[in-house]
Amino acid sequence: MRTFAQPGAVTLLAIILTTCLVLSLFQRMIWLVVPFLLALMLYYCLRPAVDALVVRGMRHETAAKSVWALLQLIAAAIVLAAALLVLAKAGTWQGGLDRYLAGGRSLLRKTTESLEKTIPLFERMSLGAQVDQHVQQFTDRFAEDNLLPITLQLLKWLPSLLLVPYIAYFMLNDSMRMKKYIIKSVPNAFFEKALLLFSRLDGSLQSYFQGLFLLTLLDTICLGLGLEVLGITNAMWLGLAAAVLAWIPYLGSVIGCILVVLVAATDFPEKTWMAYACMGLFLGVRLLDDFVFLPITIGRKLHVHPLLSVLMLFLGASVAGAAGLVLALPVFGVVAVIGETVVQVVTDRRLRARYRVARQLAASYQGIDAARSVANVPLRGGQ
Amino acid sequence: MRFFGADKDAQRVETLKNVPIFHGLSRKEILEVDELLHERVYEKEEIIFEEGDPGHGIFIVLSGKVRADPSHELLKTANLEFGPGELVGELSLFDEIPRTATVVAVEHTVAVALFQAEFFSLLTKNKRIGVKVLLEIARTLSRRARQLLLDQKHVPSL
Repeated sequence: MRTFAQPGAVTLLAIILTTCLVLSLFQRMIWLVVPFLLALMLYYCLRPAVDALVVRGMRHETAAKSVWALLQLIAAAIVLAAALLVLAKAGTWQGGLDRYLAGGRSLLRKTTESLEKTIPLFERMSLGAQVDQHVQQFTDRFAEDNLLPITLQLLKWLPSLLLVPYIAYFMLNDSMRMKKYIIKSVPNAFFEKALLLFSRLDGSLQSYFQGLFLLTLLDTICLGLGLEVLGITNAMWLGLAAAVLAWIPYLGSVIGCILVVLVAATDFPEKTWMAYACMGLFLGVRLLDDFVFLPITIGRKLHVHPLLSVLMLFLGASVAGAAGLVLALPVFGVVAVIGETVVQVVTDRRLRARYRVARQLAASYQGIDAARSVANVPLRGGQ
Repeated sequence: MRFFGADKDAQRVETLKNVPIFHGLSRKEILEVDELLHERVYEKEEIIFEEGDPGHGIFIVLSGKVRADPSHELLKTANLEFGPGELVGELSLFDEIPRTATVVAVEHTVAVALFQAEFFSLLTKNKRIGVKVLLEIARTLSRRARQLLLDQKHVPSL
């Protein structure tokens, strides 16, 4: 339910500018923002499980501890299984990677050859040779230029990523107490507005993250089934990987599509149409995503106009790069809720007057209390 | 892990036990409800909420006294002072309707607020406690409605 009116043009502009400012700030402390965001995702994923246990009669703290312990066990099992898999198959993966890259290059070569045959201009430009040369240069220098920086980045990120489960645990266990603690510092005049703000923020973030997971599930099913029908190997896993990559708007979808096309081109080297069919499938799912799934999952709950969403994504990308792309919509949602509430408070003369009077009353009674304490008279409220 | 005021539990339970809507709750249940309550302190003559404000929950007076100043003629005839254990703004717990009166602290007052969204989450998550509290609030509402209908000069619902 929306209890507030839509923001005016000036408010909207202020919200957009604040969002850009916050994104720019977040980019500078990305090492802290990313684990916090992941913890928030984890919190909203696990909260229904904690709530379900509480409904069955378990105390909140016990439920939070149980769910967190279960998560730790699952995470430990996954890490162990991944480590065993890496040890067993690391040797074959390098060969596999080379095979898929060769498959991709072969597809690219066939496509440029076909383009050269159809459009003489491309033949005169030696499009195939040029593309081949660029790809060769890129693949030759990739490991040399990028492998060490990527490894160092991963090592740099590891400590802050280890924080994720701990932040999520404290969110699960103490979110209500933290909220009460913050609300306590809000003046009486704005108390109900502050409570409402928290409730709306919680609702918006919950809708965003739960919507994101629902969207990932729908994407995985659609892509996985489509790839399965086309006969691609490990269709569901590829669908899942592409759906998770799609969390990074636009850029993630392109990377996911390249991944699937590489697999299709390698699995079916003689059937070039298979790779194109995969691209078609990706485009189809993308359209389904933008026009059906996204509006019914995230869009409906966040009340963000599609045009504004696109604008925020572009602004986010220009202000904070890839991080801005990922963070633009959730940050915009949060800033919009806060901005609307602040405008309501600022423009409500009654609330401001009530706050001023309350401050004057508090100041005058503090004076009386001080005089009473000097005269050894008991203070008000039995203090 | 408790961050804040674990040693004040017993005192808190005693205070809340004196509130009629929490009479039926055990110590453990009161502590669960207390997680959802927001304590506020009001100076004499400070406004708690104003008539026409969008209401989002109830206030339960723990100590001190509050007075309701309604503009509605029917409500004006009633004696509208509320002391420890009594609740104000209960109509807003069920529906986000505008407040029907302005409520002001008559003296230094401590009250706890139960927010609508948090009360609904209590009803969903812990039906046993939720139903007990709901029943007591319904009793208060019913008593006040009866008193108003019978033209008794007593507390109506706000």
